[in-house]
Amino acid sequence: MRSNTGDVSRSVLLVEDDARVRRVLRLALEDEGYRVAEAASGTAGLQEIAHAVPDVVLLDLMLPDLDGFTVCRRIRRDSDVPVIMVTARTDSHDVVAGLEAGADDYVTKPLVAKELSARIRALLRRAEVANQHPVKIVAGDLEIGIEEGVVTRDGVPLALTRTEFRLLAELAGADGRVCTREHLLETVWGYGYFGDSRLVDVHVRRLRTKVERDPANPRHVVTARGLGYRLVL
Amino acid sequence: MAVRLGLRNRVMLGFGLIALALSATLAGVTWLFVSHYLVADRLSTATTESAVNAEAISLGLSQPGASIPQLLDQLPSGQATSSLLLYGGHWYATSSAHGASAVPAGMVAMARAGEATSSRIRDGGEPMLAVGAPLTQRGNAYVALYPLDDLDRSLRILSSTLIGAAILTSIGGLLIGRFASRVALRPLAELTGVASAVARGDLDARLHFEDDPDLGGLARSFNHTAAELQHRVAVDARFAGDVSHELRTPLTTMLNSMQVIRNRRSELPATVREPVSLLSDDLDRFRRLVVDLLEISRDDGGDTSTAEVVRIGDLVSRAADAAALRPVTTLSPEVDGLRIIADKRRLERVVANLVTNAETHGRGCLGVLVAVSGAGLRIIVDDAGPGIPPDRRDRIFERFARDGAPAGQGVGLGLAIVDRHVRWLGGTVRVGDRPGGGARFVVELPLGSHRDHSMPTSSG
Repeated sequence: MRSNTGDVSRSVLLVEDDARVRRVLRLALEDEGYRVAEAASGTAGLQEIAHAVPDVVLLDLMLPDLDGFTVCRRIRRDSDVPVIMVTARTDSHDVVAGLEAGADDYVTKPLVAKELSARIRALLRRAEVANQHPVKIVAGDLEIGIEEGVVTRDGVPLALTRTEFRLLAELAGADGRVCTREHLLETVWGYGYFGDSRLVDVHVRRLRTKVERDPANPRHVVTARGLGYRLVL
Repeated sequence: MAVRLGLRNRVMLGFGLIALALSATLAGVTWLFVSHYLVADRLSTATTESAVNAEAISLGLSQPGASIPQLLDQLPSGQATSSLLLYGGHWYATSSAHGASAVPAGMVAMARAGEATSSRIRDGGEPMLAVGAPLTQRGNAYVALYPLDDLDRSLRILSSTLIGAAILTSIGGLLIGRFASRVALRPLAELTGVASAVARGDLDARLHFEDDPDLGGLARSFNHTAAELQHRVAVDARFAGDVSHELRTPLTTMLNSMQVIRNRRSELPATVREPVSLLSDDLDRFRRLVVDLLEISRDDGGDTSTAEVVRIGDLVSRAADAAALRPVTTLSPEVDGLRIIADKRRLERVVANLVTNAETHGRGCLGVLVAVSGAGLRIIVDDAGPGIPPDRRDRIFERFARDGAPAGQGVGLGLAIVDRHVRWLGGTVRVGDRPGGGARFVVELPLGSHRDHSMPTSSG
């Protein structure tokens, strides 16, 4: 096996019921340098994760037993592993439902391993904040440890996924200024201007349920109507 | 003179004519009865009065030494304007205004012979009733003249009242006819509206008078036809989508296998490299086609839209410049910094597809202009091609209308997607001539266009 990435090979869990698709994606992803585990159903996928947590889960929404949303919610109960869901259509309600169930990103069929690989790399990037910032940023009762990847509220650690953490870190790095959706799409997900803004909106909603005492009246992550979001320092 | 009246006007006119005929008949009958009664009443009063007067004169004349003028003066002041007496070959009169000359000779002769008669006469232009009455002294006559101008006036008032009533009734008939025809034809007006809505492509339009006992059958069969049509259109549209869905699994296999092969191109024998490269290119085109078909079928299926606030100038220039691989966009000053609510993904496809079309079929995009026009936004895409002949301008927005492009260049879904998305956004797209040659595509969008705010941009 040849590795294109050069670094320690990452593991991907493919949860997909179509054997042919599983087989060819495995071939192509392995060719891109990933280690690939397969699961033919939602239940099998959950068992696989319980057995060995992969670096990324690629989750088809249409599965024979448990649907993808349920699988995603169960994964999120005790894991922050990045989940990329596979949907049939860009503009269906599935996308929002999947993101709300805890997925970090989505791809539409037909899948190509090279594009998938770019998504995976973006999700596995570490949180980065410009050099001049302290490694610890305080926003009210929140304390964001950029280096450690830990957020505490009143000293109690919060369970954020990697993507939620990177989103918060990006907002924290803006010094209280507004971050546009396009900017967040680019820095957190690695998309360009035409990325799907729903990624940002749903992740902000999810982030608020974790960092805000009253998510309906956010004090930390506030909306700048028509512009984007900012973190109140 | 062959003016064809509409159904509504005919119904209205019918009501008016019926009202006119009825009211005219009623007025005629009323006139006959009333005028006959009034004239007969006046005649009977006059006849009775003059008989009584004649008797009084006869009695007076039988008294010795009677003075005729005195006798005439002593007559009770009845309704007669003038009393005349022919006695001993001489005429005596109570009024100098009306002389014996006005009295018909026949009447005098009849009265002298003992016969009472009456006759309508005119004296000095005034209508009068003359009543001749015999006296007991044979050979003499009494004639009384009664005015008829008041009766004539009454009859004139009666006739104008009746004519007025007939006219009013006819107008009333016309108005009722107008109202009735409007009420009766309302379903027909609805049918016209709904039928043209369906023809315009609004397949959800239906008639609402299915419960009408008379027209319900028509409404039901029309609605049934419309529903069938809608079903057929949906099935046809879904077909492309279903095919594309089915194609995605084999496409996934092909694309990923090809990727593995391409990653190892250097390991391939030289003889295989060219066919592999051809296969790879066509596989990419095949993928774009399937993705485009899904894009179109998704709109046919009426999927969701997302609306968000965008800087429209930024959006268009990014989409256009990326599609042309060079800066092509000009923003008019009022567009700079303008924010509108729009579906970013669809708008990006519209602009990118128009620019790609100009690049591949129009010998290059000459420029994209964004401007505010009236209450909307206008996006103009110019190309350097030969232009589109007027008779082909509507067709080029149809699926797979290639507009004479060389085989293998594009598959003609780009403009169909543009048309779909622009409609979805509530706007229009048309193609015309660019001044100086080439085609000019003009997209007009309402400012703040959006259909479904399925993802609120703010919750705090």
